[in-house]
Amino acid sequence: MKRPKKSKFARRPLSDRLAALRPRLAAFLLDWASWGFVAYGVMYLLNKYWYVRYVNFYGRLTLPGWGWPLVIVATFELAVLSHAFAQSIGLGLFGLRLYGPGYAPVPFRQRLARFAAIHVGLVLQPLVLFTDRPLGTLVHDTERTGRMVRIAKVKDELPAEKPRKWYTTYRGLFLAGLLGLTFWLGWKITAINLQMLVERIEKSGHIWRDLFTPNFSYLTENVIPGRTFSILHYMLETIFMAFFATVSGAIVAFPISFLGARNIMGFNTLGWIVYSIMRTVFNVLRSIESILMAVLFAVWVGFGNPFAGALALFLHTIAALGKLYSEQVEAVDPGPLEAIAATGARRWQVVVYGVIPQIIPSYLAFTLYRWDINIRMATVIALVGGGGIGTLLFYFKNEVGRIPEAWNYVGAVIFVIVVVVWALDYISARVREKIG
Amino acid sequence: MTPQDRYHAGFMSARPNWGKALRAYRRDLGVLLSDFLVLIALWGLASFIWSDLVHGTRDFVSVAPWIMLVACLELALVWEAFAVSPGMRLLGRRLIDARDGRALFGRRLLRVVLLHGVPFLLFPTLATARYTPWHDRFSGFRSGSAAELPDVRKPWYRTSWTVALVALAAAMFLASALFTQVDLVKLFTNAGATAEIWDRIFHPDWSILGLGVRLLIVTLFMAFMATLFGVLVAVPLSFLAARNLARGIVGRTVYTVLRVLMSVVRSIEPIIWAIIFVVWVRTGAAAFAGALALFVHSVADLTKLYSERLESIDPGPIEAIRATGANGLQVILYGVVPQIINPYLSFTIYRWDINVRMATIIGLVGGGGIGQRLIQLTRNWVWDQAIVLMLLIMLAVWAMDYSSSRLRERLN
Repeated sequence: MKRPKKSKFARRPLSDRLAALRPRLAAFLLDWASWGFVAYGVMYLLNKYWYVRYVNFYGRLTLPGWGWPLVIVATFELAVLSHAFAQSIGLGLFGLRLYGPGYAPVPFRQRLARFAAIHVGLVLQPLVLFTDRPLGTLVHDTERTGRMVRIAKVKDELPAEKPRKWYTTYRGLFLAGLLGLTFWLGWKITAINLQMLVERIEKSGHIWRDLFTPNFSYLTENVIPGRTFSILHYMLETIFMAFFATVSGAIVAFPISFLGARNIMGFNTLGWIVYSIMRTVFNVLRSIESILMAVLFAVWVGFGNPFAGALALFLHTIAALGKLYSEQVEAVDPGPLEAIAATGARRWQVVVYGVIPQIIPSYLAFTLYRWDINIRMATVIALVGGGGIGTLLFYFKNEVGRIPEAWNYVGAVIFVIVVVVWALDYISARVREKIG
Repeated sequence: MTPQDRYHAGFMSARPNWGKALRAYRRDLGVLLSDFLVLIALWGLASFIWSDLVHGTRDFVSVAPWIMLVACLELALVWEAFAVSPGMRLLGRRLIDARDGRALFGRRLLRVVLLHGVPFLLFPTLATARYTPWHDRFSGFRSGSAAELPDVRKPWYRTSWTVALVALAAAMFLASALFTQVDLVKLFTNAGATAEIWDRIFHPDWSILGLGVRLLIVTLFMAFMATLFGVLVAVPLSFLAARNLARGIVGRTVYTVLRVLMSVVRSIEPIIWAIIFVVWVRTGAAAFAGALALFVHSVADLTKLYSERLESIDPGPIEAIRATGANGLQVILYGVVPQIINPYLSFTIYRWDINVRMATIIGLVGGGGIGQRLIQLTRNWVWDQAIVLMLLIMLAVWAMDYSSSRLRERLN
């Protein structure tokens, strides 16, 4: 008796099937989202040019209850249409292309059939995960309706094709239209008004004049005798604040970065969990600007206290350096590591003698770079009560109208900021060049 | 010994070659200056730590300033005569023994003493004899390149320059902790001040979500417009700000002026730019002010990134195209542009990413977008709504960061 043929499904785990379908899903979602953006733009421009002007001056055109499903279905249909009939931006970005048998182009009627089949197969699509169909195909992929091919995989087999000008392809035209729409929307939403900018030049003229004739009387003199310090004092505070945040952040980020490196942690389940948690924490913390964290810390340790700013910068530095460091650990040369492991060394010995010597120079370079960024941020963190030179900057700016030479003092503060930031930027760039 | 060795080139000429003689001292002066600065920094930090911890005051000098300056200068001279100082290490200079190595301590001391005569004796020395100054001649040491000596590796705690640098870093860290008023006790005892905030943060008020999304859209468009116009201005400027493309006196001048201007503009955070633009444009056009501030900073930053990339292009293809008789425009179009298009795109995406981050906080000074509402909410203590806006900002920044790094990966 012949042995039953082992099904392909048995050999292909579910994760592979999902992975093979991922680019197709991503391409479709991108197309759907782009049509959604077009719908948003049309709605906004309708409001701007028609509804508010001719129907209701005070109102805003909003969608009725049935409008939302309509928009969702309509954009879905447009995305499916562009998928079936053209090389859409999603397909282009993820390197997919529709081909008939033998890489022949698919004729119009069969594309129409494909468009219909997509709707019919909509509910059945998840079933392909449990059948023996080839990897990366969906219900509507047949010999007749064509198959989506990943261009990168079959590059050599593809027939030679004459490259087309961008303005004759669907993708080029759509992208150009999208760019135009975005530009139009951006112009309207940010209310760009060049005429007003020119008309009001004289309003800002005296500001520029004052800023360029800085008044340095508070350079070393206390702003409010006995209470507030001088410009140089606050500048020093800024530099020290950034230094403290950078060094302590680097000290904390150094051990943590190994926990966020896949090649160190990815050997067992526990390692994977720790790795994923670390990476998530890095990403979440990194996406909160330190000036927003300082809002909280200013309440915590006192408004205007440089410690508040230092804490905010410290937290952000841990996340930023932790990510950079652990990417560096992941990029180490595995050769020395294997050599050390071959001598029977333990995991920590491999890290100490194999990994650390490789990463020290780039760690130093990243840390210097971070100090640079922290100083820039420390100059403005006083806005929310974080201390540093910004304290004086915003103090003088708020005194405009009460102190006669307020803008001149602001000019002096900005001058000192420029000199210090520029000098430290230059030095750190030179040192990084030498290290890296 | 030939007469050419014995007598220097300027021996018979009417006036000695001061410039050439002084140029020989340039490195040694650099060494002295670096050590002087290191010692001043150490002095200032030590004095600050001492006065803060002992007297509770803030004093970087502690003595008459001239005493500090003279003492640091003297210490630098002694350091350079007796050990390898940070300046010597940095500039690759070493003290080289020209004799048999006996009476080292006395000769080093003699060198320090004789160095004090340099301001008075240098010019007569240069004018009358070979360019060997007196402190070199009598002490038997001369300052030479580090390459002349065998490279002896010592552990870091045995060399004075690493010890000094470690001390400097430690003092800097301690001083910065004192200066920023780091108070760990307060961090824990005062945590109760934020209790109400945490309570509200964990009970977010989602009714502001719709407004938040609308403000976020404005913010994203601010970043987009700033980047778009920034690119349009920065691309032509970058060709003027590239050293290898700057030809002639006009080109060099334009290059220098642009570079200086751009680094000044770049040193000022967009938030500070926004303060100026908020006054300039009419009240109510806050988003426009924010976009302008981002635009100015983007132009400066992109011009720097672009022109640095232009400076490192491969000259091979350019020469090949020029050899075919192409004109300047064609050389740029077919020789330069294909080399820079991908890095330029990558820099632009990177800048867009930064602009989105900056746009979310530029509202803090009245620059429009989501940040403006956020700072109002935190000032009015409406943290339950503020946290919703913060989450939206996080989401946007994270999405932008992720997609920009993926796109840049594909481009490289």
